[in-house]
Amino acid sequence: MKFSVNWLREFVDLPLSTEVLTDLLTMSGIEMEQIEQRGGNFDNVIVAQITASKQHPNADRLSVCEVNDGSGNARQIVCGAKNYKTGDKVPLALPGAELPNGLKIRASKLRGVESNGMLCSAIELGLGEEASGLLILSPETKIGAPLREVFPPDTIIDVEITPNRGDLLSHLGLAREIGALSSRAKSRDPVEVSLKVTLRGSSTPLGSAQDDITISALRECPFYSIQRIENVRVGRSPDWLRAKIESVGIRSINNVVDVSNFVMLELGQPTHAFDAAKLRGTINVRLAREGETLLALDGRTYSLRPNQVVIADTERAIGLGGVMGGEESGVSTTTTSVLLESAYFSPGSIRRTARELNLPSDASYRFERGVDPQMILRASKRATAIICEIAGGTAKEMSIAGELPGNPADISLRYERVDRVLGSHIEPQAADGILTCFGLEKANDSSTSVSTSTWKIPSYRRDLQREIDLIEEIARAHGINKIPSADRSRFTASSEADRQYDFESQIRRELVALGFNEARTSALIARGELARASGAVELRNPLTEDHVALRTSLVPGLLAGVARNARAGAERIALFEIGNIFAAMTGEQKRSLAIVLSGNVQSKKSWRGAEYRHFDFFDLKGVLESLFSARADEREYRRTERSGFALAAAISSGEKTIGFVGQLASAEANALDASAPVLVAEVDLAELARTRKTAAAFSEMERHPSIRRDIAMFVPRHVTHADISRVISSGDEPLLERVELFDLFSEKDVAANERQARKSLAYSLTYRGKNRTLTNEEVSAAHARIRERLRREIGAQLRE
Amino acid sequence: MHPLEELRERALAQIASAADERALEAVRVQFLGRQGSVSQWGETMKTLPKEQKPIVGKLLNEVRQAITAAIEQRVEYFRAERESAAVASIDISLPGTQHERGSLHPLTQMLDRAIGIFRRMGFALAEGPDVETEWHCFDALNTPPDHPARNEQDTFFLPDGRVLRTHTSTVQIRSMESQRPPIRVIAPGAAFRRDEVDATHSAQFHQIEGLYVDEDVSVADLKGALEFFLHELFGADAAIRFRPHFFPFTEPSFEIDVKSKALKAGEKWIEVAGCGMVHPAVFEAVDKSRGDDAYNPEKWSGYAFGLGMDRLAMILFDVPDIRFFAQNDLRFLRQFA
Repeated sequence: MKFSVNWLREFVDLPLSTEVLTDLLTMSGIEMEQIEQRGGNFDNVIVAQITASKQHPNADRLSVCEVNDGSGNARQIVCGAKNYKTGDKVPLALPGAELPNGLKIRASKLRGVESNGMLCSAIELGLGEEASGLLILSPETKIGAPLREVFPPDTIIDVEITPNRGDLLSHLGLAREIGALSSRAKSRDPVEVSLKVTLRGSSTPLGSAQDDITISALRECPFYSIQRIENVRVGRSPDWLRAKIESVGIRSINNVVDVSNFVMLELGQPTHAFDAAKLRGTINVRLAREGETLLALDGRTYSLRPNQVVIADTERAIGLGGVMGGEESGVSTTTTSVLLESAYFSPGSIRRTARELNLPSDASYRFERGVDPQMILRASKRATAIICEIAGGTAKEMSIAGELPGNPADISLRYERVDRVLGSHIEPQAADGILTCFGLEKANDSSTSVSTSTWKIPSYRRDLQREIDLIEEIARAHGINKIPSADRSRFTASSEADRQYDFESQIRRELVALGFNEARTSALIARGELARASGAVELRNPLTEDHVALRTSLVPGLLAGVARNARAGAERIALFEIGNIFAAMTGEQKRSLAIVLSGNVQSKKSWRGAEYRHFDFFDLKGVLESLFSARADEREYRRTERSGFALAAAISSGEKTIGFVGQLASAEANALDASAPVLVAEVDLAELARTRKTAAAFSEMERHPSIRRDIAMFVPRHVTHADISRVISSGDEPLLERVELFDLFSEKDVAANERQARKSLAYSLTYRGKNRTLTNEEVSAAHARIRERLRREIGAQLRE
Repeated sequence: MHPLEELRERALAQIASAADERALEAVRVQFLGRQGSVSQWGETMKTLPKEQKPIVGKLLNEVRQAITAAIEQRVEYFRAERESAAVASIDISLPGTQHERGSLHPLTQMLDRAIGIFRRMGFALAEGPDVETEWHCFDALNTPPDHPARNEQDTFFLPDGRVLRTHTSTVQIRSMESQRPPIRVIAPGAAFRRDEVDATHSAQFHQIEGLYVDEDVSVADLKGALEFFLHELFGADAAIRFRPHFFPFTEPSFEIDVKSKALKAGEKWIEVAGCGMVHPAVFEAVDKSRGDDAYNPEKWSGYAFGLGMDRLAMILFDVPDIRFFAQNDLRFLRQFA
């Protein structure tokens, strides 16, 4: 929220420099977001009066004005604006002036007509957002006076007010806080914050509860007041008012509405002005009716729900209580009689309404954070007095209904508790001093012991609800930097999450060692990916089409990575990700590992004439096998059908499916702009963990030499490596240690039909005795038995 | 001089002057071959008188060994010469054989670093689900419905009313529900915000939550712990300040700023964390859910903190745009190999 430093100074002596103020606020929990200098920087800009204006002879859009600059000589200015009339007083930038926007003013000719300066708009002077016409000054302004005198220099600070501190959403409130904090800085004695300005209020007596207001929604609106002001002339606000509200970013509308906004900015209490002539009958603060609608001041029509508070007359809703007024009942130039509302709306109700209607306003922002009940009538009186002063109104009776919320409950404080929470000793007198500064009053309770005290809470500090809230105030004002740091740790046993983290780190490092780059993709997938993630749990309220549902697999994200890198011209793409995936329908979460490979085995060509070929299925299968790291025969790869894949295999271990590995159909790969096959695998991380050895253990190293024998054979093409391995191992030859396939080729059988097609495989078999050196004879015997089984069981033609 | 000794001198001279391996081989055959001079002396030996045999035999042996050794030495010399000739032509400026190097994602590296520090400080890891109940995400964290800090606008909802957690503070509640104090955990994990994506905001981001509950845990302990962590991360000379702030679930609450010349921001304070003392209302909500008074706020106190990992990684690795972390561009990832 924006604050004017000049305005704050009306209430409290501020630190002189902005740096000191920034530090003071920052270190007490009010973050400074921006500091902006405004006004004042107006050398050679003065007040001038337009004495004559005629059409420019050579330009339709320009006029030639004669102005009185106070020197006694008439000055001629060419001007493009249309919003003035003769007699208006406006800012005049003389030749030599430099405007805040950097524009340098010189005497010149515009379309052949001499112009000795420039008449300025608010935005050109950095005084407001208004760019459509000249800044019209009030008639009382002195001709020839430097503009600096009309708009003195000011500093505008934009600070972040945390949601618990609704009491700081006004100049009075922030000034009060600064006073409390700076008095702490100056002195440890409790100093009462003095407000330099006493608030002017109308002397009109409070109307007693009258029957022209009914509150039907007492829970949502416990207190409501209406001040009638008659004979009002709605029009332009005086310069001081415009300047004040515009300096903190509120647009000027008209004098009545501006006063309402001014009082909100000054005191924190939102008020609202109705045009009395537009109301029929008496006011009822009630819940909206089913199907009721309201055209609000923002020009939009809202459909209301029966839990939302409206201000209604006898016939219809005329405003959304505490959020926004209605368009039809608003103050306009024809208004002569005003009803000024000042009320208390319960924070929860306002927040709900503003949220449901997606209609946050300056009023709702304050009501949902809680306004000061003691300020409601003061604000009404303040606004009424100013309206009467500047719009010529006459204050009539005030009507009230309901009851003001009571003061916050007293809170007791144990001084020992302060020390325990802060870990540092605070003298009780110092703690008392701090709380007193913030406007709390120590209850004069004789039963209070020296170790505790009871505190009355000011009406504007509804955030102070329990002891810890007081301790926070003490910590904040005492200064956290004065609390010494302590070194306190303890032994902590590792948890299941620790073990999981270590396991995943291990997998990550193994894959990195194999040359993979780790990716991280979003857990939320795009609309376009939903087709392939059937049943994915969709968000009820997505913000963009890029993030609409929970991923059921890591694969789509990684494939997007393949596409991005293929398009960027990457030669070798090897990515993996470990992350959460969410089951279809239930959203149940589990850890998953996915790997993609595409492109060349090496990212660059090499002078060594090293391998330069595309990744294929077996490259990825090899990576998986290295991760599984237990006996290969415990796993099975079964061909499956998988949409979008040319080749896919389900990986299982016993009864459990661990994951899958496959190659994308070329249409899919082309869609990713991949110029090489795209290999994909996804594995359930918990199942992967189960296949791995839990702890390393020593096993005896071989002490006796091995004997190797090879078998080369032709087999029908349909016979698989798995078939052959099974036959070889089915004899349970005790001496056979290891079987390795070392050669494979298929005959290019042009003539032969499919049934006769053969392939050739060559295996190397290693034999070894555990406790002795084998003899050639026993190895030959075992080898012969295996050869015989191959011949008999799968019709292998053994080659010599 | 004995003729054998003369023979030896002749042989050694010829070996030394043999120009190449072929010449050396000829010398070897000449002296040690079957018909060679040394071998013939073996025949001559048989004809000598008995008493001379041991003396000449010993001498003959010595001569044979000397010649053999000299030949071997000469062979070794030729081999070394041949080898240095062979490698002399190697261009050692040629590039080395390429090995493909993988990389951990920068966020993983950031998490590993942070977790490593916290583990040295005696924190164990904890975790909780990404999909959470509103109760765990808000109510239990002292943010009841209609609280201004309960930002439903920024929260993703599932059709069944559950939410994607907006912060990892949910794990505070999960941890306290499942174990009694004392408790000392950190919880790294993802969080989600329904926020316009730009250079510093993304729908999904990563946090580390921390929670320490014990008897008499104080603001002083909180300061000590986070100052240690941040000095480990940013270096001992980094300046650290705690600034009062507001979070519904801690009180008092602070934000922490760091300033370090080593960082690009230089003399500017950079916000790196939020923290505070666990609000008694949070302990009360946990006890209500547990159905006991394990976390009675009169007996137990604690601190909690949250660190944005994406933000820390951006600061430490000087990454200008948070979106780089999710694009998985190899040109980006390989910078962190």
